[in-house]
Amino acid sequence: MRNGHAEEIAKLIEPGRVHRRVYADPDLFELEMERIFGRAWLFVGHGSQVPNPGDYITTELGRQPVIMCRHRDGSVQVLLNRCTHRGAKVVNERKGHAPRLVCCYHGWSYDTDGRLASVPVPEGCGEGFDKEALGLARAPRVGEYRGFVFASLAADGPSFEDHIGPMKGNIDDLVDRAPDGTLALDAGMHRYVYNGNWKLQVENVLDSYHVPFGHASTVNKDGVQFARREGDSKGAAVIETKKKETAGSWKDRKSYIVGNGHGWTSNTTLDDGKRSSPAFDEYKRVLAEKVGADRANQILTPRLHNSLIYPNMSIMGLNIHVRVIKPIAVDRTEVTIYPIRLCGAPDSMNFGNIRLLNVTHSAASFVQTDDLESFVRAQKGLRSNLTDWVDISRGLGHEEPDRELNATRGLATHEMVVRAQYKAWLGYMREAA
Amino acid sequence: MDAANSGIDRAPFELFLIHEAALLDGRRFRDWMALFADDGTYWVPAVPDQQSPFSEASLFYDDRELMKTRVERLEHPRIHVQTPPSRTAHLVGNVVVEQANAADGEFTVGSTVIMVEFRDDAQRVFAGRQSHRLRRDGASFRIVQKRVDLINCDSAFEAMAVPI
Repeated sequence: MRNGHAEEIAKLIEPGRVHRRVYADPDLFELEMERIFGRAWLFVGHGSQVPNPGDYITTELGRQPVIMCRHRDGSVQVLLNRCTHRGAKVVNERKGHAPRLVCCYHGWSYDTDGRLASVPVPEGCGEGFDKEALGLARAPRVGEYRGFVFASLAADGPSFEDHIGPMKGNIDDLVDRAPDGTLALDAGMHRYVYNGNWKLQVENVLDSYHVPFGHASTVNKDGVQFARREGDSKGAAVIETKKKETAGSWKDRKSYIVGNGHGWTSNTTLDDGKRSSPAFDEYKRVLAEKVGADRANQILTPRLHNSLIYPNMSIMGLNIHVRVIKPIAVDRTEVTIYPIRLCGAPDSMNFGNIRLLNVTHSAASFVQTDDLESFVRAQKGLRSNLTDWVDISRGLGHEEPDRELNATRGLATHEMVVRAQYKAWLGYMREAA
Repeated sequence: MDAANSGIDRAPFELFLIHEAALLDGRRFRDWMALFADDGTYWVPAVPDQQSPFSEASLFYDDRELMKTRVERLEHPRIHVQTPPSRTAHLVGNVVVEQANAADGEFTVGSTVIMVEFRDDAQRVFAGRQSHRLRRDGASFRIVQKRVDLINCDSAFEAMAVPI
């Protein structure tokens, strides 16, 4: 597998199943870092995290440490966080402000567009020393949509538009909720890690099948989940308690795929028109004032639950947040979750969103922790080589076109979205970088 | 008033904190919740010196209602992340009565907490400084706010199911 021959890799993916090595083989993981994370369009950050020139955040694209910073000309730069001199990581803080990025080792100093600005004791540099060629490496391609910054570490490949285009509506769905038409990822972050493969989290964000059982501990005796949104008095009906089975309304939820591994699930049945609280009512009033009552109602009618922008980012429409998946090793993954501040919304509304995200998606939350347990146990099980295959066949052959949405539709408790992810996975993986 | 050197007997406060820790280690989460005042909150910030639980993400920020949901979940037979359950040992020390307001019977007590957690063949350590705002209630106290500032509060955590 180390050589990554296309025909060998293709054997790992069948119409309704994938080979366990996809999750457990360290050589395949290395190939994924090259062939997926080394060239796909990856979410880096949001412009609101670096509002002023000199502001920066540091993150990872796959395993590559990067700096996202704002240059003097207003552009957002994505730079490799590695000194071109002796290789040290240049910026060591998760966020901050610096007019120059200075390496701690010998003091090489870079401008916020990556250009090498100065080196101490320049008279020691050899004759062929070319300052222009020694700037911080940059992501070859950077794209931005409504503040969401993506980068590709490959010079060639599908365009930003080709990749992100089909998911722009999903980004709009979130951003349009802000009365000022823009949002900010400036309300801190949740960070969790688990001993499992990165794809376990990616698959999970669009998996509605696991909810009634996997999250049973969040559902009360009437089969209803706790209230998760500002203004809701209760959560979604998940279990039909009399029949002791998944609630019909939950089983009817839809999922959609649009190519490139992307997809989304439709809303939960929460929109009963009863959503109300002082914070929510005030927010609705402010939004209607900005965009008109009809448009406000349209914006506030939930259409999307989770959206996945393959391979490393999801947007949640219920407990609004952006989730970033960072592979560390074949069996180790870190996830960062950013709460969303809707610019122009009353503080009380934003505070309600931030507060409820603690109980759904912090490392100590009611919801995410049971998912993490499932990922860890999956990885433990998948180490066993006595059974090779993982079944992802639910709903196979029951996909149907949705012409209105220009998408393919299935039931959210089916596994169409996972199969779509592996189609994209194979597309990246069978081609040498 | 600054009570650090005021000669207030810290013993009853220390005993209260030891009792609270014993309830958590004994997985008596409902009894633990009952220590909180009706307007009580439990807060574990996600960054050092966090100013507000509202404008920024926290590891925990529970009012009594959320605390009740948390405790009900901890009692649920199908809480997978507690199968098997965590075993914990809390150590509370360096107790200082930092503020005392005799008039309204409110006190702020600082202490250092170390919690060792064992679950599913793995052991890990949580440590930090905690601050209890306590309100006198008969012979004992109710917790108005418990804040735990973990030294690694801004790191990435594996799943945490039990309060610290």
